[in-house]
Amino acid sequence: MSFEPRIVGFLCNWCSYTGADLAGTSRIHYPANIHIIRVMCSARIDPTFVLWALAEGADGVLVCGCHPGDCHYTDGNYKTMRRFPLLKRLLHAYGVEDERVRLEWVSASEGQRFADVVTDMTERIRPLGPCRIRPGLQADMAER
Amino acid sequence: MQPCKIGVYVCQCGTNIAKVVDCEDVVAFAATLPHVVLSKTYKYMCSNPGQDMIVQDIQSHGLDRVVVAACSPRMHERTFRNALQVAGLNPYFFEMANIREHCSWVHEDHVAATEKAKALVRGAVFRVARHEALERKTVDMCPEVLVLGGGVSGLTAALDIAEAGYRVRLVERQGALGGNLARIDLTAPYLNAARDLLTERITRVTENERIDVLLHSRLVNLEGFIGNYRATVETRDADNPPRKTEFLVGNVIVATGYQEFDAGRITHYGYGKLPNVVTSFEFEQMLRQGRVQMDDGRLPRFVSIVHCVGSRSQEFHGYCSRVCCMTALKYAHEVRSAIPGCRVSDIYIDMHAFGKGHEDFYRRSSEVKTLFLMYRKGDRPVIRKAQPSDGCDMLIEVNEQLSGETIEIPSDLVVLMVGMEARSDAHEVARLVNISQDKEGWFIESHPKLDPVATTTDGIYIAGTCAAPKDIPDTVAQARASAARILAKVARGKIEVDAVYAEVDEARCSGCRICNDLCPYSAIEFDLEKKVSRVISAVCKACGACGSACPSGAIKARHFTDAQIFAQIEGVLR
Repeated sequence: MSFEPRIVGFLCNWCSYTGADLAGTSRIHYPANIHIIRVMCSARIDPTFVLWALAEGADGVLVCGCHPGDCHYTDGNYKTMRRFPLLKRLLHAYGVEDERVRLEWVSASEGQRFADVVTDMTERIRPLGPCRIRPGLQADMAER
Repeated sequence: MQPCKIGVYVCQCGTNIAKVVDCEDVVAFAATLPHVVLSKTYKYMCSNPGQDMIVQDIQSHGLDRVVVAACSPRMHERTFRNALQVAGLNPYFFEMANIREHCSWVHEDHVAATEKAKALVRGAVFRVARHEALERKTVDMCPEVLVLGGGVSGLTAALDIAEAGYRVRLVERQGALGGNLARIDLTAPYLNAARDLLTERITRVTENERIDVLLHSRLVNLEGFIGNYRATVETRDADNPPRKTEFLVGNVIVATGYQEFDAGRITHYGYGKLPNVVTSFEFEQMLRQGRVQMDDGRLPRFVSIVHCVGSRSQEFHGYCSRVCCMTALKYAHEVRSAIPGCRVSDIYIDMHAFGKGHEDFYRRSSEVKTLFLMYRKGDRPVIRKAQPSDGCDMLIEVNEQLSGETIEIPSDLVVLMVGMEARSDAHEVARLVNISQDKEGWFIESHPKLDPVATTTDGIYIAGTCAAPKDIPDTVAQARASAARILAKVARGKIEVDAVYAEVDEARCSGCRICNDLCPYSAIEFDLEKKVSRVISAVCKACGACGSACPSGAIKARHFTDAQIFAQIEGVLR
């Protein structure tokens, strides 16, 4: 059997989670690799959540929020946007491939876009195989 | 973490979940998870028997945590929280696993979907074990209502609310009230004048001192939550510089209506090129002016009506626009009374006569010698210019289904029954009031059958044709329903809102004040004496931005704590 990556998606309640719901009500199919965790705002997504997910065995992490300018909490997504490059640099240092961790803006009406993002991400991670940083990261996270 | 007793309920949602996810397998799996003392599956967990089952199990088995694996929490989280409350349990000891919208509806592979459902249930079980009891907070409900759209829907809702004694702000983009109905002559099936239906309403609205009508206006911003929305409306008319008005409202009714399908998109009907091919709205205007005539002033001897223009087609809109069939039948009556002897042909796919009095109206229309010709979906009639010897201006070629023959219909005037479509600016409204649109652009209701005027955002209601094509009675029913829903809430004066807000552990706070500037609502103050930050809970909107920024981990985003989210991550991945 081919490798099936496990992906964790952190989605804000107001735009992206609703967008994922819309993909459901519109019956837009996408791979079953993603497991969605709801937060109220993408700004709640502490970078350690992403690290924790990778340490727990995720092969990819998707972070989704409202489009810039559309945040339910005024500007939470801008905070996410600014945190993200730093997180990516850290992950790069750990040797995590770029495709594995992704930030995307998905509005409540973009069910199709959500499905497209998940499909694309799954297809890009599948050839990479399992995320290899798990043991090292687990040890580091345990010290936290 | 304290020992707890978790009950897991896997909803089949009829067959919506069960036909893809093996619910029995998920139940058996849930039973093996830590702290789970009971797991069950049932056809509809949200039904009364389903909720009663939870309530009874809490009481007889001493459950202190509940997980329901069903639809989106945006749909039924509140329903089940209420069930917990009924059973005497704190409503926050509850978690939903979304195995419908995020699983059975989007995955085809039964094995993969069942495995994913199990992972989501495990995430919810791990999370709920770390939930804490929270108290709900009660806030005042502002009784004023914002109504977007001054068509028959908005007018009706505004009147119901104002006549119950509350103030309404009625915002209309155009310079006059009435909406699309103001463009209609008579209405089917009873042939009442649309003008009569509207004039009475508009007069009552403009004379009602509790209704502020804002013409040439649109909503440009909406902040807050149910009971406490702050709206900004911009007014732009020719005579004055643009001005903004701000006010507080408790609830919003979106009644922004529809736009008609652009007939020019179906090029071979010749709309815009052949002079006597008109849309139903242009024909309504002729009827309202009492001048059914061709472009050169001649009276038409043959009027042909083409149904389903832009509706029920693969290239344009797949849905039925619901009102066109009856409107077309109405034209037969109106044409014959305007031009006795004029021959009317109805070229249709199926005759949809679903409403009260519609079938009767169809029968009466057949009796006035209308010629009915049935064409097949996708096999559109062809309109072309006639030769002088044909004795008419145009010929319509129809592959008639009932006779099986190709028939040429003489025509002097062709009326295209253009369908309804979502307004091209509907996405702006959706974004402003935070509601969703379906793939056709219509606004989405909280539940298509059981909760048709509410949305997934508390305090935002939808009425009329902004949600889907509908006729006047259905539109009015929705307008009055949304008004009634709001009045029922306003009557209580107060509203319970989630007690989800951030908290600072003063013992761990280093006083760095990073969170102070981060908060978009300035809800975090600094205690200069103790040198610690403190959240003003009434102002906090629970986005959690401070929680993920605090370097010493002193801020707890209640109900979205680090421990709860870490547990959920572990759960979905283990």
